[in-house]
Amino acid sequence: MKKTVVKICMGTTCFVMGASELQELEEIIPKKFGNSVDIQGVTCLDYCSSCSEAQAPYVLVDDEVINKATIEKVMEAIERKLNNGQE
Amino acid sequence: MFIDIDCAQEKKYNQNTYGDYFLSKRYPQSGDLIAVLSDGLGSGIKANILATMTATMLLKFVEAGADIKTACEVIMNSLPVCKVRKISYSTFSVAHCSEDGEVRIVEEGNPNFVYISGNNVVEPPYTVIDSDTFTNRHMRVYKLQLKLGDRLIFCSDGVTQAGLGSPELKLGLRRSGLIRFLLEKINDTPDISSSELAKFVVRVALNTEADRKAKDDTSCCVIYYREPRRALIFTGPPYHQEKDNEYAHEFYNSDAKKAICGGTTANLISRELNIPVYNNVRSVGKLPAVSQMEGVDLVTEGILTLTKTYEYLENGFNDKEKNAAYDLMQFLLSSDCIEFMVGAKLNQAHYDPNLPIEIEIRKNIIKKMAKILENKYIKKVTVRYI
Repeated sequence: MKKTVVKICMGTTCFVMGASELQELEEIIPKKFGNSVDIQGVTCLDYCSSCSEAQAPYVLVDDEVINKATIEKVMEAIERKLNNGQE
Repeated sequence: MFIDIDCAQEKKYNQNTYGDYFLSKRYPQSGDLIAVLSDGLGSGIKANILATMTATMLLKFVEAGADIKTACEVIMNSLPVCKVRKISYSTFSVAHCSEDGEVRIVEEGNPNFVYISGNNVVEPPYTVIDSDTFTNRHMRVYKLQLKLGDRLIFCSDGVTQAGLGSPELKLGLRRSGLIRFLLEKINDTPDISSSELAKFVVRVALNTEADRKAKDDTSCCVIYYREPRRALIFTGPPYHQEKDNEYAHEFYNSDAKKAICGGTTANLISRELNIPVYNNVRSVGKLPAVSQMEGVDLVTEGILTLTKTYEYLENGFNDKEKNAAYDLMQFLLSSDCIEFMVGAKLNQAHYDPNLPIEIEIRKNIIKKMAKILENKYIKKVTVRYI
C-alpha cells in the first residue's frame, strides 16, 4: 500500500509561525497510524512567498496543502486520506 | 599563505590581572598583520597599564602609517623611567607580517624570539639601534622571509626565567630550554596550531616552577604560516534567478568547506544540481535542525540560525543543547578564510509585521557577522552579494 507522506515546512517563516510546535507529530503519528504514514521535515516549501505568510505554517499531506497547520488539522487530513484510500 | 596567530597568558601568582599585554590586528585589504607583545614593569594593575599603553601606542602608530622601525624608535626614546627601579617601564616585541611571508620584527627588552623552520631553529641576522636618549636601551631589528610551515615564537621573560633559582634550573628555563621543548612538541605534532603551541609553552613554564605558581607574568605568542583553511557559506537566493545554476555550480565545485544557510537556498542548489536534501522534523532548542546534503558540510535554516550564531560569536555559547547555530559557529571558527555568498533576493514573507518575532535583514546580519569574525576572531572574511 502506498504510504501517506506528511511534509512539515521548516523554513524560517513557518518555523516562527508555529512549525516548531508540529514536531510532536513525529511521535503522535506512528502511535496512531503505525507504518502507513511517513513524516518528513522539508526546507522551505515556498508557500509563504507564493501564497501568504499570514497562512503559515504550511504542511503538505500528500498533495493537499494545509495552511495555519496545527496538530489537529494535520491529523484530520491524514485520517481523511486514509479513509478515502480504503473506500 | 595564512598567518595563524594566537597568544596564551598566565598572570603572576596572587595577582588579579595580567602584567603582559598582547595585541594583534589583521588588515584584510593588504593581508598584513601586526602583533605586539609588551611586558609592563612590575606586576598587577600597574604593569597592566604600562604594557597596555605601550602596545596600544605602538599599534596605533604603525596603523597611522609609520614604519615599525621608526615607531619603535620613538617609543624606545620616550618610554618613561620607573622612579623606583630606574629602568624603562615596559619592554616590547612587534611583528609586522605580510601574507607573502615577509616579516619585520623589532624587539626591545623582551627575550629574543625563536624562529623555527622545518624542525630547525634559525638565528637570523639583525641590526641593533641604540637609543638616543637612554644608554641602556637598544632595539634589535629583523627583516625575515618566512615560508610555508615556518613559525615565530615570542615570549615574555616569565617563560625564559621560569624555575629561576630552583636546584635543577639555577638560571631558569632560559631560551635554550624553551627551544628544546618547542622542537620536541613540533616534532610530535608538526601541524600544531598557534593556539595549542602557545598554551603548551605557558604550561611548560608553569610546570617548571616548583609549586606550579607563576613567579612572573608569563606570555607566549605564536605566529605560524600555513595553508589557509577555507570556508564558503551560501545564504539567500541570488537576485537574478537566471544565474541560480551558475552560482550553484560555483559553490559546489569550490575546494573550500561548504555550508548552506537557508531553506530556499538549499532547495535551489538541490534543484540546480539534482542532489536531494534530507531534513529532520525535530528542532533543537529554538532552531530548526540541520539538514543533510551530499557534498555539503553543513546545511541549516537561514536567518534565525545566523542571528543565533552571531549571538554566540558575541557572547559565547551558553545554551544547554548543541543546536544548528552551535554547529555553524564551530564551522566558522575552524576556518581561517571565510567567504559569504549572499543572495540579495528578499523573502517578503519575513518582513510581515505580524510575525511573532522580528526577523533581521540578511545583509545586515552578515555584515555584523563579518565584522565580529574579523575583529574578535581574527579571521579573513570576504562578502559577495549575488
